[in-house]
Amino acid sequence: MVQFNLPNNSKLTDGDYYKLEAENKSIKKFKIYRWSPEDDKNPRMDTYEIDIDDCGPMVLDAVMKIKNEVDTSLTFRRSCREGICGSCAMNIDGTNTLACTKAISDVKGDIKIYPLPHMPVIKDLVTNLKNLYKQLKSIKPWLIKQKQEATDTENIQSRNDREKLDGLYECILCACCSTSCPSYWWNSDKYLGPAVLLQSYRWLQDSRDEERKERLKELDDTFKVYRCHTIMNCTQACPKGLNPAKAIAGIKQMIAQQ
Amino acid sequence: MLGSAKNAWKIHRLTTILLIPLIIYLFLKIIHFSGEPYVLILEELRSMWSILFILIFTVLGLIHMRVGVNEILEDYIHDESVKKIINFLISSFFLLILIFVCLSMWLILIF
Repeated sequence: MVQFNLPNNSKLTDGDYYKLEAENKSIKKFKIYRWSPEDDKNPRMDTYEIDIDDCGPMVLDAVMKIKNEVDTSLTFRRSCREGICGSCAMNIDGTNTLACTKAISDVKGDIKIYPLPHMPVIKDLVTNLKNLYKQLKSIKPWLIKQKQEATDTENIQSRNDREKLDGLYECILCACCSTSCPSYWWNSDKYLGPAVLLQSYRWLQDSRDEERKERLKELDDTFKVYRCHTIMNCTQACPKGLNPAKAIAGIKQMIAQQ
Repeated sequence: MLGSAKNAWKIHRLTTILLIPLIIYLFLKIIHFSGEPYVLILEELRSMWSILFILIFTVLGLIHMRVGVNEILEDYIHDESVKKIINFLISSFFLLILIFVCLSMWLILIF
């Protein structure tokens, strides 16, 4: 059966409070999920007061400021700080998004930050994405040609065919969509999830790919695609404005037409 | 249960589409016959069209519900043996409903 309650060692407790000493009216409280595998303690919510006049405009700026100036033990992923790498995906103010593109001013009141939901936590805001990458590999996210010599020549594609990839190739695999999907929470071991299915659809739509039939055959499974119940959380969560739900509907349509 | 996942998905959508006009027709009929005498309603139920309608409606509705319930089972029940037992119980229950409807129709016809 699906586990609906949190195990005892996952229950959140109140953590430390890092008060800002200076008198300032522009103080914003950041409540951040903390958990370390190095001790047996339950996860906790630490609160940090930050002067937002002395900080960059994005949530990632504040999180980096906390790490640099307040608590160096805070652990999170980040790299490009401009919404291209997908490293800083986390749950901010109840929504999965990229910390680097989420403005502090967009959140009213205290800012609560959690790791991506329903994923094994490695430490603090860092989650284990192994399963997602394994699933991505399973859909063979590369161009497949039947004849070997075809790879030695240029793969011509018409403008119309190229346009079919718009809204698909932009995915940065941040996992915001997959980890916002309840179906993926319950069946992440077998259901591929919106991020991987969007990638799958990207290769199904590629006019140069010659493996479409095999790809669709692989997807015709009770779990891989059909656990999607068009909840649309994926589309709402995508920080790049893509529409994974539409891509999944496209895959279902292609399988039905086969 | 219904072969491939594709077939189950197709059948679920197809039965949805077919049930829409049938449900509208059923509601219109209920409104039309509300307040009418019992004998008149019984006479209407005895017509071939009504029997055919009720049977089609029941079969389509049960197929639609069966596929829908199966989706819920696939989502939330991960133990295969438990899933098999629940599937058997639900199929039996739906079969009983079908038998009950057929029996009701037969009783209406003979009395």
